[in-house]
Amino acid sequence: MIELQNVTKRYPGNREALAQLNLVLERGEMAFLTGPSGAGKSTLLKLVAAIERPTHGQIFINQRNITHIPKNKVPNLRRYMGIVFQNHHLLYDRNVFENVSLPLRIAGYAQADISRRVRAALDKVSLLNKEHVMPIMLSGGEQQRVGIARAVVNKPAILLADEPTGNLDPQLSAEIMQLFSEFNQVGVTVLVASHDLSLISRMRKRIVRLRGGRCTNGDRPVA
Amino acid sequence: MLNTRRQPKPLIRPNRSTRLYSHLRDHLRSLVFSLGKLYRQPLATTLTILMIAVALALPACMYILLDNLRAVTQKWDDSGQITLFLNLETSENDIEKLRSRATALEEIETVEYVSAEQALDEFRALSELDYLIDGLAENPLPPTLTLTPSASAKAPDTLHRLVSDFRSYPDVEHVQLDMQWLQRLQAISDVVQRAITIIGITLAISVLLVVGNSIRLDIENRRDEIEVTKLIGATNRFIRRPFLYGGMWYGLLGGVIALLLVFTVLLVIEQPAQRLVTLYNSEFELIFPDFWQGLGLVTTSIALGVSGSWLAVGRHIARIEPS
Ligand SMILES: Nc1ncnc2c1ncn2[C@@H]1O[C@H](COP(=O)(O)OP(=O)(O)OP(=O)(O)O)[C@@H](O)[C@H]1O
Ligand SMILES: [Mg+2]
Repeated sequence: MIELQNVTKRYPGNREALAQLNLVLERGEMAFLTGPSGAGKSTLLKLVAAIERPTHGQIFINQRNITHIPKNKVPNLRRYMGIVFQNHHLLYDRNVFENVSLPLRIAGYAQADISRRVRAALDKVSLLNKEHVMPIMLSGGEQQRVGIARAVVNKPAILLADEPTGNLDPQLSAEIMQLFSEFNQVGVTVLVASHDLSLISRMRKRIVRLRGGRCTNGDRPVA
Repeated sequence: MLNTRRQPKPLIRPNRSTRLYSHLRDHLRSLVFSLGKLYRQPLATTLTILMIAVALALPACMYILLDNLRAVTQKWDDSGQITLFLNLETSENDIEKLRSRATALEEIETVEYVSAEQALDEFRALSELDYLIDGLAENPLPPTLTLTPSASAKAPDTLHRLVSDFRSYPDVEHVQLDMQWLQRLQAISDVVQRAITIIGITLAISVLLVVGNSIRLDIENRRDEIEVTKLIGATNRFIRRPFLYGGMWYGLLGGVIALLLVFTVLLVIEQPAQRLVTLYNSEFELIFPDFWQGLGLVTTSIALGVSGSWLAVGRHIARIEPS
């Protein structure tokens, strides 16, 4: 589903953020991306979401080469994936329902489908009762869950998350990770970058360790 | 509601007609949303709209005033009269001869005689300077013959030939062709019209820049929002839409206020203008812009608003990318 072949990413004036990295994530697989700060976790996710372009190497999403995907094709690629970032990236002048419905509106769904889907997504993150609340009135954890609901509302094949539990307490962090795991169980390919080693080791999923832009292992979990 | 343990039913991608319908709905939403945005920044919005309104009202007023001037002179042009100022000492008998001679000309339709006394009376009635006139030792006004050329003789060439003919008549002191200053007025109004066009174009460009700048600021303020929407798969076109509608609202509101300004100016000058023109012995009805001209002004304004925001949107939105 996600394949990186010999990918190198060098930011202008920096050493390599990723160096000749190879990584394959099968359809329906879930993996955690971990490693020290500056290891290249965010960079990897940005390459997959076509936010950044690789300096060398090839990237495939669902067998399609997106290495040099033209700008006007990027929106379609992104509708294929849900993206959750640490800074929640919500629109603060619109309520929860409108935030979550945005991807569906962008893709041109009918109003009835939108309402149904948004409620289902909010139900899943247990925020159905906060539909009409403005994001500013929500706690950090709730805002993060709104972000997740928005990422999954159009049932993407791929879910990418960068530090989704960043500054949440352990209890909430565990709940959020559990949520990702549930999406994975219904067939979504999930890639989550996280520092929280103790939490992700409890999830019993594949862990990809990065250091200095290189992969130091690609272990599958021991079943 | 949704059981996570079960495979959920797949989300059906919207088909063509659904997409079209939701596309229209999104346009409507952008339309309302962008108006709401303007409403939430009343000061900035008001300033922008007033700048647009003034920039459009100015050339529009000048244009409509020129139109009025043309209409007034057009009426005078219809008469296209030739006035013969006679020697003060000309006898009644000679005047009568002159009069029948002019009447006999086929180029002349009517001949009107105003004696020196009549001229003085008329002047007295018009000028309200009775005491001055009464103080005069003798009448300084000459008797005049006012000739109206027939319709076929209204061509400038014919009129000029007639004028030089009359100059050679005995007892004719001076010949005045109304055409001359009418022509000059015509030439002036052509120059003025050109000037108004240039001013209008300059101000139209300034409207483009004003709207463009407002929209650019708006885009800058909503940079984060644009990044987020791009991250969840919004096309540039989708993001552009509310900004373009914003420009349209600026244009519409600016245009309507410009029209109100034009009407206000015309209402204010209506009476003095009427009085002025009556002094020139003409009937006069101030021309206001008609429905189509008003519609034209507002449409132009909308077009400028949309184009202005298009300029800003085209360059800035493509540049904003999530990072
Ligand atoms: N936009 C950028 N321009 C220049 N250098 C960058 C940019 N983004 C990241 N880098 C550099 O690339 C390297 C990898 O950064 P990246 O953000 O991918 O690390 P990370 O693993 O996500 O770290 P963290 O755990 O702190 O989020 C770092 O050395 C960083 O300084
Ligand atoms: Mg990072």
